[in-house]
Amino acid sequence: MEATLLDPRMFRIVAAAMALAAFVGLNALVLVYLERKIAGHVQRRPGPFEVGPHGLLQPLADALKLIGKQLFRPAGADALLFWMAPVVSFIPVLPLFLPIPFDPDLVAMHVEPGLLLILAFTGINVLALCMAGWGSNNKWSLLGASRAVAQSVAYEIPLLMALLAVTFMHGSLNLSEIVEAQGAWPWQWNAFIQPVAFIVYFTCAVAETNRAPFDLPEAESELTAGFHTEYSGMGFGLFFLAEYANMIVVCAVATALFLGGWQGPFFSGWWWFLAKTYALLMVIIWFRWTYPRVRFDQLLNINWKWLLPLSMVNLMVTALVMKLF
Amino acid sequence: MPPHLLSDYLFVLVFLLVGLVFAIAPVLLAAIITPRGVGLKRLTTYESGMAPIGQAWIQFGVSYYLFALIFLAFDVDVLYLFPVLVAYGSFPWRDLVGIALFVGILSLAIVYAWCKGVFEW
Repeated sequence: MEATLLDPRMFRIVAAAMALAAFVGLNALVLVYLERKIAGHVQRRPGPFEVGPHGLLQPLADALKLIGKQLFRPAGADALLFWMAPVVSFIPVLPLFLPIPFDPDLVAMHVEPGLLLILAFTGINVLALCMAGWGSNNKWSLLGASRAVAQSVAYEIPLLMALLAVTFMHGSLNLSEIVEAQGAWPWQWNAFIQPVAFIVYFTCAVAETNRAPFDLPEAESELTAGFHTEYSGMGFGLFFLAEYANMIVVCAVATALFLGGWQGPFFSGWWWFLAKTYALLMVIIWFRWTYPRVRFDQLLNINWKWLLPLSMVNLMVTALVMKLF
Repeated sequence: MPPHLLSDYLFVLVFLLVGLVFAIAPVLLAAIITPRGVGLKRLTTYESGMAPIGQAWIQFGVSYYLFALIFLAFDVDVLYLFPVLVAYGSFPWRDLVGIALFVGILSLAIVYAWCKGVFEW
């Protein structure tokens, strides 16, 4: 064990973990600003404008405010579950970034089954929502949590099927290898070879991250705030941070698997990766201010009646085409 | 277990630990600097401003529990497809027939649920 603790790569890993933690925090600030600004312009108003030039310091002010708010636990709540939930929702976020290749060299760790690692750790988030919903002893929270469980288990299946179709083509779960197998130009990307898988994956990713129009676990017009109704200050802040980090992860995976990762016309590099990831993030934000929320039976039926059969047919067609050519 | 694999697991553990520190630090900071007001109604469960009626920990009907059962069938079976994708292509036609049978039988779960009326409620 000592030999592995003194592993020369250990320093690199700790540095990578710190850097990624900073990246997650910084990204949350940027995304809060982007979301509020885009929301504003979609609704023909300027959005945040007062704090700093063009409201640039607004997310910082928000973060400070969140840290300064009193932490409450309602009298009837289960103390252990209530306080564990936000922490549990945030912890698995960092390992999600482990195998993501921002660049051929800019990757925390080359994991052979990298995609499997990501899929395994994304499953933990729903447990945290469940703990929050049950531990709060609040009716809104409990309803939100039961929706969250039904929704995220349902959308996991077509998501896996869509990813399987792409990984079948490459015979690998290593994200770097899949990126390298695609070319620099858009028509060489997997999104154009596997358009059905891309659409199914992206729809499921929006649902898995509980974003509108699939944001039923925290539907504010029906359930106040769903599973995090009872959380104040940083308790809410951690859920919020985890949700934004999960958005980045699903978009980064989509970029690596479907949009050619760091490869792009003229000059490949991490800037292409970030540009594509942010473009996808803005599409998700755009969805939120464009589509009305679906009803819960519609949400489940879209998944089981459309996305799942579609992704299974897509997988079979992929397997067949691979044999024919 | 080969040593490089052990250190790989260790790295995941390091990431989890940094995540833990990163999650707990702001909460601790908040717990230290925030006001500690205690009022009469401050710790009441939030129920849109009304006095809460009863507990939330009661039995209630989740009408979509059947979806969870279909999920179980699928999730366990999709797991078996992951090893297949690494080996796919090493046989001429046998693996295609195998997958077709597997996915075919799996899709019967949806057909069955659809006919049973699980998707209408």
